[in-house]
Amino acid sequence: MRLCHCFFIAGVLLTLSLTAQNKQILYDFNEIPQSLSINPGVESDFKWYAGVPLLSGISGYGGSNAISVNDIFANDGIDINIKFRERALDVLTPKDELSTTIQMDYLNGGFRSENPNVFYSFGGYLEFDNIGYWPQDYAYLLYDGNADQLGRRYDLGDLKVRGSLVNVFHFGINKKIDRNLTIGARGKLYSAIADYSSSTNNGHLTNVEGQNNLIASNLNADLLLRTSGLRSLRDANNDDALANEIVSRALFGGDLGLGVDVGFTYHLSERTTVTGSLLDVGFIYHSGDSKSYSLKGNTSVEGIEIDVLDNFASLDRDFWQDLVDEIEEAVPFETDTGSYISFRPTKLYASIRNDFGEPVGNGGSQSCDCTAGSSGGGELRTKYRNSVGGQLYMINRPRGPQMALTGFYMRRIGNVLALKGTYTVDKFSSTNVGLGMNLQAGPVNFYLMADNLLSYNNIAATNYASFQFGLNIISWGRNK
Amino acid sequence: MKGVRILVMVLVGLLLVTSCSEEQDFDQIDDLAITPSYETSIFYVKAQETLINRVEGLSFFTQDFNFDAFEEPFFAERVLAGVLTYELENTTSKPIEIRLEFLDEAENVLDTEVFSMDAAPTAILQRDVAYGTTGKSLDIIKATSEIRLTAINLGDNSSSSTLPDPAIVLRSSAQFTLDIR
Repeated sequence: MRLCHCFFIAGVLLTLSLTAQNKQILYDFNEIPQSLSINPGVESDFKWYAGVPLLSGISGYGGSNAISVNDIFANDGIDINIKFRERALDVLTPKDELSTTIQMDYLNGGFRSENPNVFYSFGGYLEFDNIGYWPQDYAYLLYDGNADQLGRRYDLGDLKVRGSLVNVFHFGINKKIDRNLTIGARGKLYSAIADYSSSTNNGHLTNVEGQNNLIASNLNADLLLRTSGLRSLRDANNDDALANEIVSRALFGGDLGLGVDVGFTYHLSERTTVTGSLLDVGFIYHSGDSKSYSLKGNTSVEGIEIDVLDNFASLDRDFWQDLVDEIEEAVPFETDTGSYISFRPTKLYASIRNDFGEPVGNGGSQSCDCTAGSSGGGELRTKYRNSVGGQLYMINRPRGPQMALTGFYMRRIGNVLALKGTYTVDKFSSTNVGLGMNLQAGPVNFYLMADNLLSYNNIAATNYASFQFGLNIISWGRNK
Repeated sequence: MKGVRILVMVLVGLLLVTSCSEEQDFDQIDDLAITPSYETSIFYVKAQETLINRVEGLSFFTQDFNFDAFEEPFFAERVLAGVLTYELENTTSKPIEIRLEFLDEAENVLDTEVFSMDAAPTAILQRDVAYGTTGKSLDIIKATSEIRLTAINLGDNSSSSTLPDPAIVLRSSAQFTLDIR
C-alpha cells in the first residue's frame, strides 16, 4: 500500500538524521536577496530589501549516501533485524555519511549606500549542523560483539562525529568595482549554543591467542570527545529554563567566534560570467562550559593472572581490583574542562554561466527597470531570458573535502518569475534534479526550492532531501 | 497578490500530489534486538611442582579471590546466556584435583566445578560449562562475588616430572550474550 504524505512531513523526518548543505539552486540566483548569503559578491540591483522575520530564509537538509528511511522502516513485512543487518550493518562503511543541516534566518536585510556601487547586507541566522560517519566497527561490536573473532581488529578510528548549534550575526559589503567585476565580503560573529566533536580518534581492539591464558584482549586507544554548552543546557533543562539558556547562549552568552565570507562575480564577456565564493572561514573559541573526555593508552589483558610461586607472599591481595586498577592506569579515562577551538565547515562555490536568448527588459517581457546593476550607478548589465552553466561546491569534512557538481538551466519570464532547474552529482545521489522558483509580485518576493525531485514518488526511499524557501520585501528605489 | 496566491497554491498542490511515500512503520524499532556476544579471558592460575612438593597435606593451595566482574550491574542486568571455558594442563608427576567454587557475597557456595587430572604425561582437559536456558542457572553467575580455588595433590611430595617447568595450569575464558535493548 502506498500512502501519499505531505512533502513537508517527509522532509522534516529526513532531517532528523543531519551539516552544511549545498544550496546549488540558490547560488547565483541573483533575483533572490538570500543569494548574497552564499556569494557576498553576487550582482545585486536592490535599493533595499527586508526579509520577513523568521521567514526570509529557511533551509533544511538531511542525507545519507547509502541508506534511506525506507530501507529500514518500510512496512514490508520483513523482520527489522534482517533489514538492519542486510541494509546497514553489512553494507555501510566508515565512508558513509549521515548528516543534517537546518538553517533559519530570523533577521535579514540590506540597503544600498549613498554610493550606488555599494550595497550593505546584515542579519542573523541559527544553524544546526551535524555530520557523522557510519561507525562500522563500533556497530559490529555493539550488534555482534567480539566473540569468536580471534585476530579481528576493530578500528576505534571509525568514530567521527561533529555538530554544533550556532547563532550567527553577519554584516556584509557588496561593491561593484566596474561593469564587469563585483566583489563582496561579509564578517560573521558566531555565538555557539552547543558544540560537540569527536573526529580525531585512533586505535583498535583485538582479541588474540594469549601467551598465558586462552585469550589476550589488546586495547590501543586514542579517543577524544570535546563538548561545549551541553552541561549548561542539561542543567537548564532540569530547571525548566532551557529556552532562557538557549537565548542567553545565542546572544553572546555562549562561546564566541569570528569568520568571514568572500565572493566575486566577473563577466568574461557580455554573456559569459564566472563567480566564486568562500564561506565560513572562521573559528569558535569554546570556553567556560567546555568539557572533554579522553581515553588514551595501550594494554593487553589476559584476565586475572596468578602465578602461585611468584605471588606466594601476597595471595591475599585483591587480584580483581588490581587488574581493574592496572587497566585504568594503562588506559586512563580523563575529563578536562580546558578551552578549545573549533573551525567552521568552510565551503567553496564556483560557477560559470552563459546567458542566451532575448534580453529581459529590452524586447523581453520586463515591465520595470530592475535588471542587475540598474541601481549600481554604472552601466546597466542586461539580463537574458535564458542561462545555462555549471557549478562546483566543496565543503571540508572530517574525512576530507566533499564535492558536488551541478549543471543548471535558468529561465526568466519577465521580471515576475524566474525558474532554475539543476542536476547535481555528489556522493548522495547521481539522480538529483532540483527546481527553484522566484516569484516577484510588486515588492513581495517569494522563493521556493527543492532538491532530488525524482525521489518524491517515495520520499522515504531517498538518500537525500533538501528544501529552501523564503519571503522578502524588495525595493528597487523606483516604481515597478 | 492574487496571482501569487494562485501560483503558491498550485505549487503546493503539485507537491502534495506528486510527493508520496511508501507506508513506513517506525514502531518496528521496538522489535530490533541487539544481543551481542563478548569473549574474554577470566583467570589464569599456575602452581609449580616445586611448590606442590613443599606443601604437606592433600590441599596444597586454597584461596578465595574477589571477582566482581559478573556482579557489575551493566553485565548482571543484561546477561542472557554464557559459556565458561576451562582448560587444565598438568605437567607434574602427580595426579591433581582442582575444585572451583562460586561464592556469593555471604560466601555461600553457589556452584562447584571439579577437575581431576592424572599425572603427566596426560592430555589437556578442556571443559565448557553453559549457563542460561541450555545450561546451569544464570543466577549463579549473576550472584557470584568470589571464586574459591582449591588444589589437591593426590600423589606424593617427592617425585619430579621430567617435563620442562612442571606445573598445574588452569586457563579460562568466558563468552556471554547480553541483551543491550
